[in-house]
Amino acid sequence: MSEVRELFLDEGVDEQVLHELKTLWENKLLQSKAVEGFHSDEQAALQASQQQQQQHIQHVQQVTQPAQTQQVILPPQQQQQAPQQQVIVRDPKLLQHMSATGMSAAATAATLALPTGVTPYQQIITQQGQILQVVRAPNGAQYIIQQSQQPIVLQQPMQSGGVQAPVIQQVLAPLQGGLPQQTGVIIQPQQIVLAQGNKVQDNAQVMQAAAMVPQPGQAAGAAPGGAAGGAATQVQQAHAAAAPQAPLQPQAQQQAQLQAQQPPMMLQVDGAGDTSSEEDEDEEEEYDDDDDEEKDKDGGEDGQVEEEPLNSGDDVSDDDGGELFDTENVVVCQYDKIHRSKNKWKFHLKDGIMNLNGRDYVFSKAIGDAEW
Amino acid sequence: MAYQLYRNTTLGNSLQESLDELIQTQQITPQLALQVLLQFDKAINTALANRVRNRVNFKGSLNTYRFCDNVWTFVLNDVEFREVTDLVKVDKVKIVACDGKSE
Repeated sequence: MSEVRELFLDEGVDEQVLHELKTLWENKLLQSKAVEGFHSDEQAALQASQQQQQQHIQHVQQVTQPAQTQQVILPPQQQQQAPQQQVIVRDPKLLQHMSATGMSAAATAATLALPTGVTPYQQIITQQGQILQVVRAPNGAQYIIQQSQQPIVLQQPMQSGGVQAPVIQQVLAPLQGGLPQQTGVIIQPQQIVLAQGNKVQDNAQVMQAAAMVPQPGQAAGAAPGGAAGGAATQVQQAHAAAAPQAPLQPQAQQQAQLQAQQPPMMLQVDGAGDTSSEEDEDEEEEYDDDDDEEKDKDGGEDGQVEEEPLNSGDDVSDDDGGELFDTENVVVCQYDKIHRSKNKWKFHLKDGIMNLNGRDYVFSKAIGDAEW
Repeated sequence: MAYQLYRNTTLGNSLQESLDELIQTQQITPQLALQVLLQFDKAINTALANRVRNRVNFKGSLNTYRFCDNVWTFVLNDVEFREVTDLVKVDKVKIVACDGKSE
């Protein structure tokens, strides 16, 4: 950050500095990543050497709880291993979650070792054989899918894709502040059996089946099922690469049957239409069929209709002038006092960053006058 | 809590882009990225308050103004930003200002 501040104080920004900034930022993150990777390495060592030792579990928990930040305290127990490139920065979150569910150190280590950026999700194997699947949606939201039951300890390196078919009981809401797109995609508690041989080609089917399981044949389940399918699709996609191996429980078999029976549902990556009912989706599809331009211009909604004449009114703006820059010059700051007399405005601003004509400036105080 | 106002600056955006890249490659978690951004907010606010000591004057014509949620947003035209050292002219500038009086 100090380096950034120095750059920050330098007035004037060009592309080079921007790239340097990015590099610096990334380097900085790499450093923190190294720490995390180190920690995860230890976890992997734990798994390799000892499995399911309470001490480790406690260590993990102890480390996890206080270490909400990226800094993870390395358990003194373990011999240090070669630093790993892998970062599991989500250690604190995951570990905490894992500890909450009583995961073993082995599971933790497996989890930490797993996410080498192979697939968009990670598997965390709990002590009881539960598998926590952290699914990363494309937009960055994280879903943790808790799968209960299953005494079978499933350990699959994500890379090899030996994903087994845990039963997903609950899909937790996204860890990260809930993206608006997917706010509606909160999967109801359902049992989803991942493939058993179905592989995940029918991801939607699985989710659909899962959705249908508690309420078979209910249309109501279809909508949330669709929503679930949207989120689970990502999970399923991850599973798709993996070949389900785990023996299915009777429930799984039933669901597998259901999968076969269920017609494939649309894979919905975005959750926009999921939350709405099917009718709305149909309507939206109709709108989509129409030219989007028409929709924008004519306006499917009243607001857009009004915007058209408004926008045309706004077009009476000044010319860009001789100097054309892509930058819209922006000033972000804080205001001390804004004053107006008739149409005379006075601005008293402070602590601002300006980007003018592509260059960056800063000020501690700025005073301005403008006439409206 | 520090304003997240400065995230839409060159610094802030490049940071967010870098973070997004790392998230894409699964090297960090979104949670961590959020922590970094929060840390960035604090640092930026502190740096601006403590490290910067210069003044700017500007003059122009006001095109639009908005005051919503205690945030002023102005769009000025044909503005001159004058500092002791130099002068910068822009045809259009948007000013976003959060309440600085509360502190």
